[in-house]
Amino acid sequence: MSFLELDGLVKAYGALTVVKGVDLAVDRGTLVCLLGPSGCGKTTTLRLIAGFANASGGEVRVGGEVVSSASRNVPPEDRNMSMIFQSYALWPHMTVFQNVAYGLKLRRLPATEIKERVGRILESTHLGPLAGRYPSELSGGQQQRVSLARALVVEPQILLLDEPLSNLDANLREEMRFEIRRLHDQFRYTTVYVTHDQSEAMTTADLIVVMNAGRIEQCGTPEDIYERPETEFVARFIGGTNILKGRSDGSDTVVCADGVVLRCGSGRVSPGGETAVSIRHHDIRIGTTPPAGDGSNQASGVVERQIYLGSHRDYLVKLSGGERVRAVAPVNVAIPVGQQVWLHFPPEHCRALTH
Amino acid sequence: MTDAVLMPERVRRIDVSVPVFVLLALGLGVLVILPLFWLVWYSVHEDAGGFTLGNFVQLVTDDTMLRAYGIAIAMAAGVGVLSCLLATPLAWLVARTDLPGRRAIRALVTASFVTPPFLGAIAWELLAAPNSGIINVLYRTLFGLPRSDSLFNIYTFPGLVFVIGCFTYPFVFTLVANAFDRVPGDLEDASAILGGRAATTLWRVTLPLVLPSMLAGTLIAVLQALTMFGSPAILALPAGFHVITTKIWSLFQFPPQLGLAAAAAMPLLVITVLLLRGQKAILGRRGYTVLGGKSGAPRIVALGAWRWPAFAFALFVLCLTVIFPYLALLKTALVPNAGDALTPSTITLSHFHFVLFDFSATRLALYNTFVLGFLSATTVAVVAMIVAYIATRKLVRGAGILGMLATAPVAIPGIVLGVGLFLSYANPTFQLYGTIWILLIAFVTIELPAGYQQISSAFHGVHPELEEASRILGASRLKTLWLITSPMLRTSVVAAWCFVFVGTIRELSATILLTTANTKLVSVIIYDLNESGDMGAICVLGLILLVVSFLVVFAVNRMPVLGGGGSVSTTRG
Ligand SMILES: Nc1ncnc2c1ncn2[C@@H]1O[C@H](COP(=O)(O)OP(=O)(O)O)[C@@H](O)[C@H]1O
Ligand SMILES: [Mg+2]
Repeated sequence: MSFLELDGLVKAYGALTVVKGVDLAVDRGTLVCLLGPSGCGKTTTLRLIAGFANASGGEVRVGGEVVSSASRNVPPEDRNMSMIFQSYALWPHMTVFQNVAYGLKLRRLPATEIKERVGRILESTHLGPLAGRYPSELSGGQQQRVSLARALVVEPQILLLDEPLSNLDANLREEMRFEIRRLHDQFRYTTVYVTHDQSEAMTTADLIVVMNAGRIEQCGTPEDIYERPETEFVARFIGGTNILKGRSDGSDTVVCADGVVLRCGSGRVSPGGETAVSIRHHDIRIGTTPPAGDGSNQASGVVERQIYLGSHRDYLVKLSGGERVRAVAPVNVAIPVGQQVWLHFPPEHCRALTH
Repeated sequence: MTDAVLMPERVRRIDVSVPVFVLLALGLGVLVILPLFWLVWYSVHEDAGGFTLGNFVQLVTDDTMLRAYGIAIAMAAGVGVLSCLLATPLAWLVARTDLPGRRAIRALVTASFVTPPFLGAIAWELLAAPNSGIINVLYRTLFGLPRSDSLFNIYTFPGLVFVIGCFTYPFVFTLVANAFDRVPGDLEDASAILGGRAATTLWRVTLPLVLPSMLAGTLIAVLQALTMFGSPAILALPAGFHVITTKIWSLFQFPPQLGLAAAAAMPLLVITVLLLRGQKAILGRRGYTVLGGKSGAPRIVALGAWRWPAFAFALFVLCLTVIFPYLALLKTALVPNAGDALTPSTITLSHFHFVLFDFSATRLALYNTFVLGFLSATTVAVVAMIVAYIATRKLVRGAGILGMLATAPVAIPGIVLGVGLFLSYANPTFQLYGTIWILLIAFVTIELPAGYQQISSAFHGVHPELEEASRILGASRLKTLWLITSPMLRTSVVAAWCFVFVGTIRELSATILLTTANTKLVSVIIYDLNESGDMGAICVLGLILLVVSFLVVFAVNRMPVLGGGGSVSTTRG
């Protein structure tokens, strides 16, 4: 049994259902990322876990005990969780020390112990010298750290983070990603981390849960998600890809509309039905001569756009059937716009997707 | 890793938000709806109890009623125009030019908000009554004229418009000055680059941008004038004419005609609603707002040779509205008889002694006034806080209704509310008439909208995540309200408290109908003493009101901002 379980969780606002039956199991000590486009219901799911919103259906269980269901809602203050908010939500009328000590004071710890624990967590988050400052006197990154320290110091059973880095500028964001991962490795709290940024999810998560329109699309390790997407949505959302659609005869081969035949090294085809094939930009080979072989996994087209990006060139090729395919090639492969090219789709990089 | 520190076990709390919501909704509903209900009921019923439209028929056929409405509307329109003419140039001068002392001028104009209008009217009696008015006396002495000559007579229609205008123009001034502050320099530069001379730019670009604020402010001034009781009662009655508020009041004198009074109050209610809607429509249109962030500070126009004439104008306005009236009050408070000159030999504190020690009625009134001010301000602050909390955090379904109920009284003029409350609570079932509780109800109803508005906007400034952060760390809703929300709202709540207090101690329109010998307030005593001509005591009482009001306003402005440099604006995203 997992530590945190969501079971058929549903949340509706009036006629609008924003979380549509989410099932998820999170083991103790793992960091799970809820990843999905804006508006897909991530924050709502997190707020259901925290108890800020009442579930319309399904359950949230912690350690086997139901904390949220349509009929029962343990208030947030009784859940022993911590949350880090998009706005950091630092209390402007308290110093850094007071902000961090707040949760411990509520737990009626003796003053000396509070002092010691706060001191320790401020060290861990490199905030020691700033203990006496007010939030308005801190930079964005420092505020973020205070909000982390405040959430960690109470040693929550579950730590929730809602887009914690979205208010930081790009450099800081990168740094804080590793910081969050480092703190997780140090403290090992069961963590649910919400983000819409795939690289953030990749760097921090043990497990990524891709959400779309209130449902879970796929759940797996970062590698699973990237290498073995199961749906077109996941393939497109994580890393970007080309999708070619066709029919399969039941074998591993998909015949696309304009006669392109793709043998797929992985994935699932729907026999006789519509099947999509995903192939990542940098997995496509581009050349001016037809590749050797039996004619499968290749197509010809015309270069429509070519961009020099220093480390590589980015091509947009219009196939004879009319589809456009993006391909990335080394800089030394320089083909002018308008020229006829051949594309090779190595079977081991072609992944068949049923939907 | 250490062991998790678990929350201490706690007793299951029961959720009190629903009962509180229901209680408040009922309470506010009674507060607002009951007086309006009885107002309507009395207006369409005979004394015997049968249904009748007679009161309304009388309202539209009785010449004295129609005249009272006509004069009131003309007066209000006159006040609107005068306020606009005084306020707009002054606002431009202090906001956009290098006028000497513009900061102090601005502060003084804003301060004159504090002057109760009826006190202003009395001050102008002292200054410009045809016989005894200081200005007229000086004029006669200067030119050696007979007693029958006078320069000004304040007991006239123009006199009334002038006096009310003197104390309503700050409404226009504040709105317009703020609008001038917000017109970004860029827009004016754009016009200048296109070849517009300074005057053209002012006329074609800047003025149109502040026009909505000007109109909105003027509507407020009109509304104030139309629903004001004190100044017309002091100046129009001696002059021998009625405005609608004094007419309604006269219907309460023996023999009372309550039904007619109720009917007469009705159009006032409708006009108020319409004017407020108009004001909202004007200010609500977002097209003209120029809040678009980094558009640069407003440009300051150099007045050059016009600096001193402009300063003279500002000084003149201040003299008429603040300096002369206050000096007249001070002088009269310090001399034995209103007509005496102030010299070292005539100066006396006897009026102070009389008011504070000898005359029991004034002591009772002072006591009543400050107790009521305190109670009203506290009640409004507490109710507004709870309502704002429930409404902004949407704790219960239908919470918005509370906000609407708390705002609704803004559309009920004081005198109309007075009539309604009299009709509701003066009957034997309640036995409230003659107690200070009926006054408390009136003041709370009158002041609730402003207090609520202020506190609820402060609530909107506290990001809900600040509260959620506290709850997830283990604090209950009430504890969070106490430890997190209230400290952040403290400044706004105290400010709201003070403004309600200041508003309450100067209220006269509703008070005049609800007060009795045992529940006299300072404002009513001033009005009574004015009838008996005891100006010295009036001035002492007026000065006490002013000093207390200024102290309170001063205290608000001096209040330290939230503990140690924190600010609520750290809530982003
Ligand atoms: N209190 C609410 N009332 C109505 N709709 C809401 C509310 N909160 C969120 N939603 C809707 O639910 C959907 C999911 O929102 P959210 O969970 O915030 O998405 P995400 O965090 O993934 O961007 C959105 O369409 C949003 O408009
Ligand atoms: Mg979100």
